[in-house]
Amino acid sequence: MKSSNEDRIYSDGNKRENREGLRAWLNPSRYGWERISYWLQRLTGVFLLIYFVGHVIETSSLVDGKDAWNAMLELTQTTWGHLFLILVIGTSTFHSANGIRLLFTETGRGLGKPGRPDYPYSPVSLNYRQKSGIWIALILAATAMLYGASILFAGE
Amino acid sequence: MILKESQIMKIHYITGIAALFVVAVHIIMRLVMPFSMSLEYENVIANYQNIAYAVLLESILVLIAIHGFNGLRIILIEFRQNIAWENGVTVFTLVAMIALIAYGTRTIIVANGLG
Repeated sequence: MKSSNEDRIYSDGNKRENREGLRAWLNPSRYGWERISYWLQRLTGVFLLIYFVGHVIETSSLVDGKDAWNAMLELTQTTWGHLFLILVIGTSTFHSANGIRLLFTETGRGLGKPGRPDYPYSPVSLNYRQKSGIWIALILAATAMLYGASILFAGE
Repeated sequence: MILKESQIMKIHYITGIAALFVVAVHIIMRLVMPFSMSLEYENVIANYQNIAYAVLLESILVLIAIHGFNGLRIILIEFRQNIAWENGVTVFTLVAMIALIAYGTRTIIVANGLG
């Protein structure tokens, strides 16, 4: 028997319509580690895209001469600017490491073999390899942030 | 020519992996000397006037723009699915990607020609 939610989605015959949209994306009630990783991959991706656009715009001050470049540096080479850069280092490291895990997953590596569903019905695809991949991405991000902080705050 | 989603995902992964390498070189260039010194105007201009480095910057620009805006397209299409939305998102991300590449390329070309 179909749930009321399925009825709501499919009753108009338009099976391509995802009515939950952003609400489903942000719903914390269905979070496991893989869900948090899915969420972080998207959040870090959007954050890094915004940073990248900003970085292209800020470096364009180079073409307006030395004074414009130094004025831009005065804005960005501050304690808050450095903290923001450390966040960029952490998010880019997590996004890269988790992205490599996803690449392996998409090609079927580390997913486990399908088997008979036995109690307690733990899905073989969400195994220790996947979970440790997420942890490795988080640990690498933290390490990169510490290293970045040591470089950026070395002169202060 | 319209690409299949599987082909677009291959491009997404390839640009992501390639960007990892070129961005690593870009960061190493900032770390071969004290960070604040590496950002001095004369040093940055010297970087841009090095043809190999200018090519590296252009490749970073193109790879991350493709990867980033395709990622945004994927997220926006996850939110909602219908033909008008999907086509609108595709056109928006393509235009934004081309605009960013054009703007960044202008900086690389002009900075490369500065004395």
